[in-house]
Amino acid sequence: MTSKAIKIALTCVVLAAALGGLMYTTLSEGTEYYIHVDEVMQNPSAWQGKKLQLHGFVADLRQRPNSLDYKFDVQFNGKIIPATYTGVVPDTFKNASEVVLKGQLHDGAFAVEPNGVMAKCPSKYNPQSAAGS
Amino acid sequence: MPALGTFTLLATFVVASYALAASIAGGRRRSRALIESGVGAFYMTAALMAVASGIIIHAFVTDNYAIKYVQRYSDVAQPLAYKITSYWGGLDGSIMFWVLLLSVFGTIAVASNRERHRELIPWVVAIMAATEMFFIFIMVVHNNPFDTFVASAPAEGKGLNPLLQNFYMAIHPPSLYTGFVAMTIPYAFGMAALITGHLDDAWLRAVRRWTMIGWLFLTFGLTLGMLWAYEELGWGGFWGWDPVENAGLLPWFTATAFLHSVMVQERRGMLRVWNVTLVITTFFLTIFGTFMTRSGVVQSVHAFGEDRWLAGLFSGFMILLLTFSFAYVIYRLPLLKSRHELDSWFSREAAFLANNWILLFSAFFILFATMFPTLSEAVRGQRLTVGPPFFNQWMRPIGLVLLVLTGIAPLLAWKKSTLSNLVQQFTWPVAALIVTGAAVFALGIRVWSSGICFALCAFVGATILQEFIRGASVRKGASGSDYFTALVGLVARQQRRYGGYIVHLGIVLMFLGFAGQGYKQEKDMQLNPGEQNSVAGFTVRHDSIAVTSDDQKQMITGHVTVFRNGKQLAQMAPARWFFAKHESQPTTEVAIRRAPGEDVYIVLAAYDIGTQNATYAVTVNPLVDWIWLGFGILAIGTGIALLPERAFAFAGARVPEGVVTTSLLLLMLLLPGVARAQTVIQKDALRQQLEGDLMCTCGGCLAPMNNCPMAGACHGLKEQREKVNRMIDQGMTREQIKAAFVREHGGVDVLSAPPDEGFNRLAWALPYVAGATGAALVGLVAYRWTRRPAMPDAPAAAGAEVPVEDALAARLDDELRDLD
Repeated sequence: MTSKAIKIALTCVVLAAALGGLMYTTLSEGTEYYIHVDEVMQNPSAWQGKKLQLHGFVADLRQRPNSLDYKFDVQFNGKIIPATYTGVVPDTFKNASEVVLKGQLHDGAFAVEPNGVMAKCPSKYNPQSAAGS
Repeated sequence: MPALGTFTLLATFVVASYALAASIAGGRRRSRALIESGVGAFYMTAALMAVASGIIIHAFVTDNYAIKYVQRYSDVAQPLAYKITSYWGGLDGSIMFWVLLLSVFGTIAVASNRERHRELIPWVVAIMAATEMFFIFIMVVHNNPFDTFVASAPAEGKGLNPLLQNFYMAIHPPSLYTGFVAMTIPYAFGMAALITGHLDDAWLRAVRRWTMIGWLFLTFGLTLGMLWAYEELGWGGFWGWDPVENAGLLPWFTATAFLHSVMVQERRGMLRVWNVTLVITTFFLTIFGTFMTRSGVVQSVHAFGEDRWLAGLFSGFMILLLTFSFAYVIYRLPLLKSRHELDSWFSREAAFLANNWILLFSAFFILFATMFPTLSEAVRGQRLTVGPPFFNQWMRPIGLVLLVLTGIAPLLAWKKSTLSNLVQQFTWPVAALIVTGAAVFALGIRVWSSGICFALCAFVGATILQEFIRGASVRKGASGSDYFTALVGLVARQQRRYGGYIVHLGIVLMFLGFAGQGYKQEKDMQLNPGEQNSVAGFTVRHDSIAVTSDDQKQMITGHVTVFRNGKQLAQMAPARWFFAKHESQPTTEVAIRRAPGEDVYIVLAAYDIGTQNATYAVTVNPLVDWIWLGFGILAIGTGIALLPERAFAFAGARVPEGVVTTSLLLLMLLLPGVARAQTVIQKDALRQQLEGDLMCTCGGCLAPMNNCPMAGACHGLKEQREKVNRMIDQGMTREQIKAAFVREHGGVDVLSAPPDEGFNRLAWALPYVAGATGAALVGLVAYRWTRRPAMPDAPAAAGAEVPVEDALAARLDDELRDLD
C-alpha cells in the first residue's frame, strides 16, 4: 500500500513537473502584453519588438486609395503612437473608435500584424456600447 | 404591469425562501407534511416565474418602453420573434430566464423522482430553492428587469443589437442556459445524497439522465455559437477562444468526464469521491462561467460592463458553494470508499480514468488561460494575455489524445484486458489507422495535426464500426434474425452503450471538421467590376455592387460569380446591412457556398459605390460542414442513450413510448425550421417587399424597384410593376415571383439581395434531414421487429445453446456483463 502510494505520488510529481515545464515554456512564447498607449510611451524603448496588444483610440485614419493599406494614430490619455496595417478591418474600425491592436513596436511606429485589429465589439450585456449612437 | 412584475419576483423570492426553510425543517424532523409543503412551494416558484416571464414578454410584444429593459433591447420595427427573444437578450432578463428554467427543470426533476428517492427530495428542493434565491436576489436588488424610467419614458426603443438579430443567436443562448441550468439538478441530488448520507448508487441514477440532457443542450448551444460566429461575424472561423465561449466549454468538459466516470462507479463501485467532485465542479463552473461573462472580470473583446457589486455577490456565492460542498465531501469521506481497486492499466476503468484526467485538465487549463490576464495583473501588475495560438498549441494535442481514448476505451475489457483480447480488438482499427495515415501522407496533406487527426478519425471510426458489426453478428447468431434486425435489436437493448458509440461517431465527424481548419486558405481581393482573382482553386469575379433597403435596414450587396476550373460554380452575394439606429455598426452578411469538401466563404470587406470597386475577404474552409453534421449525429446518439430503459425491455410491448420520446427530441431539433416557415404576408406588404427584392430592369440605375432614381421617367419600371402586380394577383408567392424574374432575366443579379436562404439553409438542414431519416428508419425497423410474435429473450437465454466462434463467445460474455 505504501509503496503504491509512493508510486502514485511519484507519477503525479513527474507529470506535474512535465506539464508545468511545458506550460511555462509555451506560455512565454504565447503571451502578449496587454497595454495602453500611454503606458508604452512612458518608456517606448522597453517595449521595442515585444508582442503587444495595444489598447487605444483610432485617430487620423487614412487609407491609401485602391488598397487595403491603412495608416492611423492610436491615442490614449493624450499619448499617440503612429500605426500601420494592411488587410481587412472590422466595421467598427474608424476614427475615435476604441481598438485593441496586436503587433509590435518598431522604431516608434506600431506595425499591426495581419488580422490584428480587434475593435471593441458591442456586447449584449453592455448597454453603453450596444446603444451605439 | 412593471409593478406587477417586480411584485411577482419578490413573491417568488419569499416562496423560494419558504421552500428552503420548510424543506430543511422537514428533512431534519422527518416531517412528511413540511416536506410536502416545501415541494409545493417549489412548484409554486415555477408558476410564479412563468407569470413574471409572461409579463416581460407581454411588455416586449406591446412595446412598453416605460420599462428600461424593454426600451434598451427592443424597438417597434423588430420582428416579433426577436421581440420575444429580447427577453434573454440582456443581463437582467437572462438571469430571470435562468431562474425560470431552474424552477421548471427542478419541478420536473422533483416530480419524477419523488417516490423513488423520497429521502433525498427535501434536500434537493432546499438546494435548488437556495440557488433560485441567489439569482432572484441579484434581480431584485440590482438588476431588476422590471425597472421603469422614473421621469418620462422614451417614445422608442434602442433595439436589440443587430449582431444578435440572427436566427442562431435567438436559440443559442437559451440552449446554453438550458445546459447550464440542467447541471444544477445533478448538483442538488449529489448534495442531497451527501447530506443524508444515502451514498449508495441510487442518486447517480437520478442524476445521470439530467446530466445527459444538460450535456446535450450544452453541446447544442456551443455548436450554435460556433455556427453563429461562422455565419455572422465574418472572420472565417468559428471558435476564437473568447472568454464567453470558454465559459460554456468549461462545464462541458467536466460533464463529459462525469458521464464517463459514472459508468465506472455503477459497474465497479470505484471513483465515488471523484464523481461527487465532478458533479460539484460542473455546477461550480456553470456559476463561474456566468460570473466570468457577466462581471467583466476578464478583459474580453466582448467587454462586459465592469460591475463590482455583481462581482462581489457572485464571489460570495461561489466561495460559500465551494466551502459548503467540499466540507460535506470531506465529512462523508468514510462513506465514499471504493469497493474495488484498479486491477490493471489495460482495463476500461483505467482508460476512463485517463480520459477523466485529461478532460479535467482541459477544463482547468482553459480556466487558467482564460483567467491568465487577470491573474498576471493581480500578481505582476502587468496585464499579459494569451491568444488563440496558445490555446490551440495545447488543445490540439489534448484533443488528439482524447480522440485516441475515444477509440481505445470502449474496446478494453472491464478489470483487465488480456493480450489476445487486445490483438483481437485492435487489428482492424490499427490497420485503418495506418492505411489512412499513409493515404493522407500520399495526398500531400502536410499539416501534422490534421494528418494525425484524419488517421485517428479512421481508427475510431473503425472501432465503432467493428463494435456494431460484431455485436450484430453475435445477436444474429443468438436470435436467428436477419442482420439488420439484429443491429436494431442490439441498439435497442443496450441503448446507453450503442447510443454512446453513435455520440462518439458524431465527435469523430466534428474532429474531421476541426482538422480541416488546419489547411484553410484565405485571401483579400480588391476588384473592379469584371476583374477576378483566385484562391485555392476557386476564382472569384466581381460583378457589381447594389444598394437596397427595407423598413429595418439599408443593404449594400456585392454580386460575385465563383468559378472552379473555368466552370461557373455559383453566384454569391455577400452584403453589409446597416440597421436603423445602429448605422455605425453595419453587420456583415457572409455569403457561403457550402459543400462537403469545402466551403467558399466570402465577406464584403470594403466597397466604393461610386467606382463600384469592392474588396472581398475570401476564405476556403475545408470540411467545416462536418462539424454541424457531427452534432446532428451526436444528438441522435444522445437521444438513443436517453430513451427510457424500460421502453426497450420488452421491445414489443413498449416501443410506442420510445417512439414518442424520439419524435419529441427530433421535433425539438426540427422546430427552428418550422418556426421559420410561419410567415403570412398580405398582398400589399408582398408588393412592397418585392419592390425591394427586385432590381429595376430599366437598365443602368443599379437600384431596386422602390429606389429607382429614374422613377417616373422610367417606363420600364412601370411595366415591371404591372407584371409584379399580375403575378401577385395570380396568387404567386414571393419566392415564386422572384424565381420567375430570375428565369426571365437569366441571372440572379435581378435580385437585390442574395438568394442565400434556400441554398444555405438546405445545407444546414442536412443534419436534421439525416436525423429524421435515421429516426424513420429506426421506427420502420422497430415496427418490423415488433411484429415478430415471440422473440427469444435476447442472447441471455439463447447464448449458451447457439454455437458461436470463440472470439464471438468472448464478446458475448462481454455483452452479458453489460446487461443491467
